[in-house]
Amino acid sequence: MRLVGAELIEAREILPGQWLQTYHAPALATGSRAGQFVHVRTGDLSGFVLRRPFSINTADAATGTISIHFRTIGRGTEWFTHLRPGDVIDMLGPLGRPFEVDPRSQHLLLIAGGLGMAGVRSLADEAIRDGRQVTLLFGAASARDVYPTALLPDEVEYVIATDDGSVGHHGYVTDLVPAYEAWADQAFACGPEPMLKAVSRLAATRSHRMGVAKLGRKRGGGKAIPAGSPAARRKAFLQVSMEQRMGCAVGACLGCVVMATSGTPQRVCREGPVFASDEIDWEGSWGR
Amino acid sequence: MKAKRRVVTDIGPPMPSRAAVQRRGRTSGQSSAGATRASEPGSRPVPPPAQLDGPIDLTVDLGRGLVLPNPILVASGTFGYGIEYGEVVDIEALGGICCKGTTLRPRVGNPTPRVTETPGGMLNSIGLQNPGVDAVIAKYATTWERWRVPVIVNVAGESVEDYVEVVRRLDGIPGIAGIELNISCPNVGRGGLQFAIDADAAAGVTAAVRRATDLPLLVKLSPNVADVRPIARAIADAGADALTAVNTLSGIAVAGSRSRPLLGNIYGGLSGPAIKPVALRVVYEVSQVVDIPIIAIGGITGLDDVLDFLAVGAVAVQVGTAIFADPTLPVRLVGELEDACRAHGHRSHLGFVGTALPRRAAAPSSKGVEYRP
Ligand SMILES: Cc1cc2nc3c(=O)[nH]c(=O)nc-3n(C[C@H](O)[C@H](O)[C@H](O)COP(=O)(O)O)c2cc1C
Ligand code: FES
Repeated sequence: MRLVGAELIEAREILPGQWLQTYHAPALATGSRAGQFVHVRTGDLSGFVLRRPFSINTADAATGTISIHFRTIGRGTEWFTHLRPGDVIDMLGPLGRPFEVDPRSQHLLLIAGGLGMAGVRSLADEAIRDGRQVTLLFGAASARDVYPTALLPDEVEYVIATDDGSVGHHGYVTDLVPAYEAWADQAFACGPEPMLKAVSRLAATRSHRMGVAKLGRKRGGGKAIPAGSPAARRKAFLQVSMEQRMGCAVGACLGCVVMATSGTPQRVCREGPVFASDEIDWEGSWGR
Repeated sequence: MKAKRRVVTDIGPPMPSRAAVQRRGRTSGQSSAGATRASEPGSRPVPPPAQLDGPIDLTVDLGRGLVLPNPILVASGTFGYGIEYGEVVDIEALGGICCKGTTLRPRVGNPTPRVTETPGGMLNSIGLQNPGVDAVIAKYATTWERWRVPVIVNVAGESVEDYVEVVRRLDGIPGIAGIELNISCPNVGRGGLQFAIDADAAAGVTAAVRRATDLPLLVKLSPNVADVRPIARAIADAGADALTAVNTLSGIAVAGSRSRPLLGNIYGGLSGPAIKPVALRVVYEVSQVVDIPIIAIGGITGLDDVLDFLAVGAVAVQVGTAIFADPTLPVRLVGELEDACRAHGHRSHLGFVGTALPRRAAAPSSKGVEYRP
């Protein structure tokens, strides 16, 4: 975790209201892993008092750049669209814990809903660099919200679902999952919470049916792996990248928690944003 | 046998030089705040030329042996247990760390969402999520003991007995420099009425805790009261060593759908620059009716805010919400305050204290009670 000055290199509105910005920030480009995020300071403190968290959308060590992908949803995100190349902003990162890919996994299924693309996008690069096969299922409201194919690596199989059927499958991205589930060694999802909840329900039934057998995992052998550890996540069929409103983004304020099956709320900024799907209490029982 | 409490005694030279602070800032990767295009009011390019040579004394004596190395602390709930910002902030340069509110038993806290930005501020409803006092001691006390910076444990409870029991367990643990009572909690024994809004209840819990420990005792005032002065006086009379003011202001936000309030807990506490005038008013009023030191909290984002709070009678300050945007701010403020002392010819920042208060017989106290002549 460091505070770095990041210089804006390029900004593009890739979709209506959705921006892709590339920043020169060598420390973040080389020191981060897929799934991590940055916490970015906005302008004058008397107006905006909080930073904004963004997934690291892509990281390019060769050029020392990272990109972020966001939708303008308020005055804070609007502020970023007024930046010009050459402007330097203050980024805190890399933050949070990354996706954990089992070294034996050859087939990765990425599932993204809308802006959730930003959460899994860099994993596609990382997996292809490591010689794995990637299928990316993407869901959006309509054709005009579909992440451009040109911004994805050629090697990725890209499957689209739209709510209105204007392109690809007519329906939810989760409808596509069963067709790929058997092929996939591991799955990684990011998007709206109802989507993640649906995917994790599918994953739970799958791990009973085949998850363990498929990678030849031994049951009950060796010591128990503590839930939430990188090793435990690496063994999970489905990892999800969660979103939550944040204050500090370093684990200090407890503003960003999600309820866990353990009964102790977990910080999205510190224990997450990536969790094994079975770590999350999807019903959010805050029984007190 | 009680373990000996660690006390900061090396008061001369009390402060890292400005150069040292800046050096630390750079090594921790500090960058200029915000976009360089948008000019930031807090970031003054060149400090004013030094008009006073020699050491500046920024120490603050809170009594009972607790001497803060400087008057810039970090506020409870915004700095975790002091370790979370570790690599980015040089915590040893701080005047003190108030840790997250600690209760007798573990608490899971409130449902989400728990935070949201508001104009010039934020609302939070964390609900005192914490692992409970025993786990806090087990996890952090040995780390705190190694630090030079005093760690003050913020304590919360639902009954006088809760507070007393938490404080008893903290008493005598090496690494714990003091107690800050968060009395903005519902008192279950009194139908959920907050301790902080009633002079008798506030005095009652203060006196009970006072009997349970000889640790320095700070009590944190709530701004959500009609007249804070009788409450402050009652707390001082009950044996508090210092007051901290203020906690957050009660507020709500509405969800985007307009179908319900936004926060999972409905109510949240407002903090940040938006509350500074309220905090200033409370410190202004309280410093005229008590003789114990006051540590001001509320919306501090720069040196001018610190000087304003000193002017209305505070001897030290805590920085809270501003840390989220600018984690290195508190450490920078230490250097900036030292510069300001030099520029104004003050040997100590206490030279700034109370200048905006109405003239009266005695200046506001800058020392712990038992040190008064
Ligand atoms: C996220 C958050 C959590 C907080 N938790 C506590 C707490 O546990 N105990 C407490 O006494 N004050 C707590 N506070 C209040 C702060 O310590 C401080 O009094 C308040 O935020 C005003 O200062 P500021 O405007 O500089 O933030 C919290 C504030 C925030 C923003
Ligand atoms: S945002 Fe503060 S703990 Fe996660």
